[in-house]
Amino acid sequence: MGDTWRTEKKRPTIKVLPWPAIPTPTVDEVYAGVDEKKKEYSLWVESAVRQQFNADKPESLDGIRILDCTANQQIGHWCSSHFSELGAEVIMVEPPGGDPMRTRTPFGREEYMFTAKSGEKCGARFLAEARNKFSITLDLEKEEGRALLKKIISQVDILIENAAPGHFDKLGIGYRQLSEINPGLVYLWVGERGQWGPLKDQPGAMDPVGQASMGFVHGTGAPVSFGGTPTRSGWWLADQVGGTFAAMGTMAALYAREKFLGKGQFVECTAAEGVIRIIDYNWGWHGMDSSIRPRYGNWDLAINIYAVNPCKDGQIMVGGGHDRLWFRIWRACGKAKPYLEQHICEDPKLRVVTDRLPHYIQVETYTTLVEWMKDLTRYECETALQEEEVASGGVSFLDEVCEFPHYKYRGHIEIVDDLNYGKVLIGASGFIGMNTPGRIKWIGRTVGQDNEDIFRRLAGLDREGLASLKKGGVI
Amino acid sequence: MTLSKALKDMTFEDFCRSVFNTKERFSKPEVLKGVRVVSTTQYILGPSCAAYLAELGAETIKVELPKRGEPMRHTTPFNEPFLYPLSRWMPDKGTGLGFFGANPNEYFLSLDFHKPEAIQIMKRLAAKTDVFCENYRAGTFDRWGIGARQHLKVNPRTIYQWMGGFGGWGPGRNRASYDILGQAQGGCFSITGWPKEYGGLPGKQTIWIMDYWGGAISAFNCIASLFWRDNVSGKGNFLEYSQVHGAQRHLTDFIALYGKTGVVAQRWGNWEPLLCVHGILKCGKSSYPNSKNPQEQEVGYCFVSAYKDEDFKKLCKLVGKDELAKKYPTHSDRVAADAQMAIYPEIEKFGADKTKEQVWKAFTDAGLVAQPVWNSKEVSEQEHFHLRGTIQWIDDPTFGDVQTQGPAYQLSETPARIRWVFKPVGADNEYILSKLCGYSGSHIAELEAKEII
Repeated sequence: MGDTWRTEKKRPTIKVLPWPAIPTPTVDEVYAGVDEKKKEYSLWVESAVRQQFNADKPESLDGIRILDCTANQQIGHWCSSHFSELGAEVIMVEPPGGDPMRTRTPFGREEYMFTAKSGEKCGARFLAEARNKFSITLDLEKEEGRALLKKIISQVDILIENAAPGHFDKLGIGYRQLSEINPGLVYLWVGERGQWGPLKDQPGAMDPVGQASMGFVHGTGAPVSFGGTPTRSGWWLADQVGGTFAAMGTMAALYAREKFLGKGQFVECTAAEGVIRIIDYNWGWHGMDSSIRPRYGNWDLAINIYAVNPCKDGQIMVGGGHDRLWFRIWRACGKAKPYLEQHICEDPKLRVVTDRLPHYIQVETYTTLVEWMKDLTRYECETALQEEEVASGGVSFLDEVCEFPHYKYRGHIEIVDDLNYGKVLIGASGFIGMNTPGRIKWIGRTVGQDNEDIFRRLAGLDREGLASLKKGGVI
Repeated sequence: MTLSKALKDMTFEDFCRSVFNTKERFSKPEVLKGVRVVSTTQYILGPSCAAYLAELGAETIKVELPKRGEPMRHTTPFNEPFLYPLSRWMPDKGTGLGFFGANPNEYFLSLDFHKPEAIQIMKRLAAKTDVFCENYRAGTFDRWGIGARQHLKVNPRTIYQWMGGFGGWGPGRNRASYDILGQAQGGCFSITGWPKEYGGLPGKQTIWIMDYWGGAISAFNCIASLFWRDNVSGKGNFLEYSQVHGAQRHLTDFIALYGKTGVVAQRWGNWEPLLCVHGILKCGKSSYPNSKNPQEQEVGYCFVSAYKDEDFKKLCKLVGKDELAKKYPTHSDRVAADAQMAIYPEIEKFGADKTKEQVWKAFTDAGLVAQPVWNSKEVSEQEHFHLRGTIQWIDDPTFGDVQTQGPAYQLSETPARIRWVFKPVGADNEYILSKLCGYSGSHIAELEAKEII
């Protein structure tokens, strides 16, 4: 492991730069030298969707109320973020003491946690998905807690839960019981593999169970012959993909309710199945000829050139499998090293797109390409390839991502100046639009911060009622 | 509405099997029946957005170039598997499996936008369209007179969803992009894979995630916009999704961490920075040592989760390392980087002489959450996913028996469904042009002769 490995005891102090460390480009700088006609469309789009105008625009899901009763898992919180960004009132229902996810922080380091004005600490993973949400505490294991849930459920459009399969049903607050009280309720269960079927979830299962059980981990990483192993994604990819599909299904149920159905329904979505939906051709390919999708590292089984390969100061992505781009890539390369362009372009084996896909051809292609890139930095490669309008870009680390001018200019990374947590740098809402853009209004709440407001407003509790519930450990 | 007594009295498992029964999908209504989607998209990002809407029952018309169709039809792993025919004009060519998964249930119209008649057809379609998905270079359709501004003027109820690399504005607006660029430039590579000290490099997520996932949030936003249009405002929308933006949404907690502490998150391999033990272990033996397929000859891997104190104790007992439980009694003791580096190799020794199935069984028998790392064959063979319709064999009208992914989510009353995996290029030219544009048979034949369709 060598001397370079940093141990817990020997960690460097890091100077925190203000963000942005390099100023965001201005409109004039971005469009300098572009003729009027050419920039006209860009300026129209920009004026139509710029986030600085968000506050003046309506929200598409304003007036929808959601109870997010999930805990200790990312998928439910990720799902409800879709709704909270588009204006729904999302209330996180946490067990008294708070969702255990609040305490999760990389390597257990408290200094990485965010501190609210009240002094309460919260980990970044939880906080990132608490956007625009309220927080109440309610112990659904207690009879009084369930009674309170039943009392307010008539005023709720969507309920999300991730308890062990059938647990809420056994407690009398499952879909079968709550839909009796509120037939309009859309009831969503989320998990790793399902609440029914032979592989139904074990209690406590969370990502990367989803990733491992659907083929993602087996397929990610380099092949054995290249020194690789099956690899999980560095973030909770399956939960986040599954959460988006859960949101899609739930949104569809809500749309159906208003359009023609007149009632809610039972919805289920899991992390594993979300990724099964999007893992390319794995199932079709296996069905055709029993093929098992192999790992192929940072290359692609189905497109050549379409890969990340090493260069002088890191790694760089270059993509362009089809003839037009294929020849442009070699032209860029040939400007510095004509023999490489010649080597590729004169090879009759490489003339037809599909002929370039077998493994030995991919090895030849990338060996030749790296022969050009090995002496160039990411920036130099990128510049040379972009002159030929080829898609390329360096593998960026998080500091480079945060300082990337395009992201800063478009507001993909923004500072939320939060009432509780102060200024927090964050990845912005993915919903960019003209009439109903998504937005982040606040970053999150402390545990049970909205108990009084929500329980007074929805359940009509008075101060005595609140006090007795608190005393009984229900909220 | 009340549930029948029979449904109320069954066990929860039976209740779920009954209301989510995949065999009953076609006897239930479709959410987006009567919603028309036009999709002028290529590759994965744009097509997948339209496909998700098609799964929900929208009449989705995919417009692609005549003859060869869109590029993804010529994309297939190692140039091996194809589904024939590519079109009725090219029966000896096939469509590659890259096209799979992003185009089910759609109608296929071929159209060459470089001809003025084709632009006329687009305008006719747009006037009757609810959702318009497009992923040409930003501004191209606007220049051709069939962009958002023109469509919204003719049909103010249209939801125009543009999807692409860097978006139509900002410093990178002219840059080309692919999924893998979104992953690279957005930071996804930088945190996936083993650290340098363990011999790893930044790694790609094996799927075209920024495309397929970007299509998914775009489809979500389209349905939300339909909801807003039909219930609130009566107005359409212009939506923009930029591929390179997806990464920032996924990595938002790492961004927050950088902003607060200056720490640039790095790779941590198959372990988990937030929890310990919660990682993937190498097992020493292959489950199929006699297989001829190298994918099966590989040794196995198994995920195990035992981050709670009592679970960690059970794990240590099982693997015969009680001293670890004493040395690292609390979660904060275990989750520190040094501790993780010490703990995992010790636990891994337990699996050195076992297959992943043996390790899986030992862990689950001890009451721990565990999951072997399955390859695509093992997943294909799970009854679980077939029962739930997320992987299914269908009798495709064009290609016969095909195994395909189904909708990711289950809906009890209005389930999404797969009707066909895709169709050949221009398969529905006659149907679409006569139904929506009022063209006669000879007119359509003339368009075909002029290579407009």
